[in-house]
This record gives sequence, structure tokens and C-alpha cells, in this order.
Amino acid sequence: MKRVIVLGGGIGGTTVANRIRKGLEAEVAAGQVQIQVVDREGIHAYQPGYLMVVFDKMRPEETKRDESGLLHRSIQLVRAEIEKIDPAANKVVLKGGKELPYDVLVIATGSVIHPEAVPGFTEGAHSFYDLANAQKLRTAIQQFTGGKILIAVAGMPYKCPVAPLEVTFMLDDYLRTRGLRDKTEIHYAYPIPKVFGIDTVAQPMQRLMAERGISIHVPFNVERIDPVGKTVKGVEGETIPFDLLIAIPPHRGSDVVGASGLGDKGNWIPTDRFALKVEGKENIYVLGDATNIPISKAGSTADYEAEVVAHNVVAAARGESPSARYDGRVYCWIMTGMSQATYIKFDYLHPPHPPTPSFAHYWNKVIYNRTYWDITARALY
Amino acid sequence: MVVDARGSWCPGPLMELVRVIQEEAVGTEFELLSSDEGSRKDIPLWIDKAGHQLLQITNEPGFDRFIIRKSHA
Ligand SMILES: Cc1cc2nc3c(=O)[nH]c(=O)nc-3n(C[C@H](O)[C@H](O)[C@H](O)COP(=O)(O)OP(=O)(O)OC[C@H]3O[C@@H](n4cnc5c(N)ncnc54)[C@H](O)[C@@H]3O)c2cc1C
Repeated sequence: MKRVIVLGGGIGGTTVANRIRKGLEAEVAAGQVQIQVVDREGIHAYQPGYLMVVFDKMRPEETKRDESGLLHRSIQLVRAEIEKIDPAANKVVLKGGKELPYDVLVIATGSVIHPEAVPGFTEGAHSFYDLANAQKLRTAIQQFTGGKILIAVAGMPYKCPVAPLEVTFMLDDYLRTRGLRDKTEIHYAYPIPKVFGIDTVAQPMQRLMAERGISIHVPFNVERIDPVGKTVKGVEGETIPFDLLIAIPPHRGSDVVGASGLGDKGNWIPTDRFALKVEGKENIYVLGDATNIPISKAGSTADYEAEVVAHNVVAAARGESPSARYDGRVYCWIMTGMSQATYIKFDYLHPPHPPTPSFAHYWNKVIYNRTYWDITARALY
Repeated sequence: MVVDARGSWCPGPLMELVRVIQEEAVGTEFELLSSDEGSRKDIPLWIDKAGHQLLQITNEPGFDRFIIRKSHA
């Protein structure tokens, strides 16, 4: 019997496991292939929902589901902390010492936020990168009566690179509807000399900010936050005061990557960007936030990568050549208000050109959010 | 250290550069590859503001190669 183990039951791990099962349906049913997914709690978090929770567009409980109901019934879910991957022995070691041998391993352990890495972050900043903090920010925004709001990025890389733009535009719209925009200054700070990484996106976003009276501070890299004096000091020397700070925390790859000697300084895994294999490892694939590929750490990236990885795992199991290649495809919506959005779609060779924001694009995002559990996670397409 | 940021449209090559410069030691040389045409303007501008050194830019077919040295913490 061949054993396929998927580490992580988030967006990437769930879709890849379901896709591999579909491709090897007969082999799994005949007991020739066993698929296991290992996840810490076995509770699947749909993190894009956190931004929606901040603005009352989704309820907190709508952002999570038990993983066992998302995986096909023939896939075994193991709820455990993964302590180490041992590529030399082709096994995974769980907390408590249990060992799981594998023939093929897929790593989808995602990224982890580290607010404590920035002095003053935990005490002084709001964020929306985990559910508890998204709920706290929601309360803070509801109680906000005017003043100075600052949005800043406190470390790189961070997942969903467009999220700071989205929270800024949604906040602007929300405060207008509440009649508080006149009493509020919105300041957007970004680590490079423009509001986003490339011109085709930065230019239209900067125009929207100008139209909506949003002040821009670039380049601004957060050095420390003073929670008492309510200021943020930037590496470049500027200090920005705030009444409400929304910051994106620094991210690192999962600790298990470092503990297994598979990662770089940030615990990101050196990855062949086309084959999605761990560099130098023939039977270990990696996808989603865990890779070191310099493209968006996003659910859509993980989902598109899952197609390629599943295709190749299935091909190899049948003795065919694993020839599918990931072309760098990503598709992300950008909320430009409470009920309008644009999107970026790109691959390694073609940069994005976001269309004019519209209600229709927003509605597509709503539909995607609502159908995620039943279509994307279950790999129904 | 080679930073192959070709095809990085989001977050973009400059975001990659800022990230690795923060992580590595003073004196490290980076070879940044970018297929974003905007990099020819952005990268020299940021290097200048941040006070690091841009040692060389070469145009290759379909991308540019930037050699950069981190000059301070
Ligand atoms: C606020 C916010 C908004 C976002 N918006 C969007 C969006 O609009 N569009 C988009 O495409 N993306 C968005 N994203 C990004 C998206 O959620 C992530 O990129 C995506 O979840 C990555 O999938 P993944 O499978 O790599 O990791 P994850 O989904 O994070 O899953 C990793 C899993 O591995 C488990 N794990 C890790 N280490 C261990 C261990 N040692 N032992 C056991 N289990 C372990 C974790 O518990 C987790 O369940 C957003 C993210 C946030 C925070």
C-alpha cells in the first residue's frame, strides 16, 4: 500500500487531499493508496472571512468548520501537532512520539503570525489576522467616534498582500455611512515608495486614495509601536501618531519547518516554483503559504497549486511522469468599499491589470465566500 | 544571495528586496532578478532613500538583474 500524507488541514491541505483522492478513487477504494491529513486541531479556518467579520459581513462562526466534514470520508484525519519531518527516513513525527511513514508527503502547514516580534504591537495595535483580533477590531470600530486611524504593515512577508488596501477602503466607506468620515483622518503607510508592489495596481489604488481623502506615508517600515503615547516609529525616521492603529503582523513559516531543517531564515521552504517540490526532495511537495515562492501568500495560490500537486501525485502513483507545472496563477479580489471590488489575476509571465471596481466583482467575492466550503474545499470542480 | 523575484507581481520584487535586506547581515550582496519594468525606477529610488548601495543593473532578455549591497543595519 502507498501512503500519501498531507500536513496541514487549511485551504491548501484540504483541497489537495480531496483532489488526490478524486484522482486515485479506484486505488483508494481498493486499499492500495491511503491518504492521511494531519492538522493540529482539525478545525479548518477560512481566514479571508476575518476581514468580513470586522465589518459585520460574516459571522465569526461562519469562518470555521470541522475538517472531518470537508475531507472525503475515505481520507483519514489525524488531529495532532506535527513535531518533525524526517525526509531521510520518510516519516513524520507527531507530538507524543507517534510516527507516520509516507511514500509521498505534501506540506501545507501555512504561515504563522508573530505580533510579539514588533515592540508594542500586542499592546498598541489592532489587527484582523486571527479571529479573536478581528472581533476586537470590529468592536473598536463600532465604538470609534472620530480621530486618526493609521493602517500599517509591521513585517514582511504577510499573507494576502492586498488586505491593507482592502481594510483601508472598507473603513473609509463604513465611516462615511456612519457620518463619521468628516471627523476622521485615515492614514495608509506602506513599506515601499508606493501604495502597492507594482505600478499596474499601485496607480489605480493611489488614485482611489486621493479621491477618498486618504493620506499616504511611503516608504514606512514599522520599527516600534508606543501603546501609551499612541505613535508608530518607522525605520525611515518618521513617527506617526494615531487614535486607532490597524497593523499587519509579521509572519513566519510553521515551526515544524525549522525543526525539520527544511526552511530558510523565516521558516519558508525553498521550493521549485514550477514542480512545487521541496528543493532536492523527490517525494515531498509543498504548497500554499509554506513555500518561499515570491508570489502572494493567498488561498487562491494554494488552491491553484493544489491542482498541480494533485495531478503529479496521481501521475506518479500510476507510474506516469509527473509533468504538470504551476504557472504562477493567482486570482484575488480587492475590496474597494463595503460593496464594491476589483480583482488581480496574474501568472509568472503576465502582470495583473485590475478592472474598474464594481458591485458585480464584489458580488462574485460574496458568492465565492459562501460556496467555499461546499465547492472549493471539497474540490468539486 | 540570489533573489529571483521574476513573476512576483504581488507583493512585487521591491517588497521581496525590503524583506531580505531586513533579514540578512550588513555587507551582504544581493542579486535581485525582476521582470517588472517598474523595478528600474523603484529599486534605485528605494535604495537611495534607504541608504544601501546599488552596484550594478544589467538588462537581460525579459528581466533585469540588480546587484545590491546592504550597507547599514
Ligand atoms: C485577514 C485575511 C484575509 C485574507 N484574504 C484572502 C483573500 O481574500 N483571498 C485569498 O486568496 N487569500 C486570502 N487570505 C490568505 C489565505 O487565508 C491564506 O493564504 C491561506 O489560508 C493559505 O493556505 P495554506 O493551506 O497554505 O495555510 P492555512 O490555511 O493557514 O493552513 C495551514 C494549516 O496547517 C496547520 N498546521 C501548521 N503547522 C502545524 C503543525 N506543526 N502541526 C499540526 N498542524 C499544523 C494549521 O493549524 C492550519 O490548519 C487572507 C488571510 C487573512 C489572514
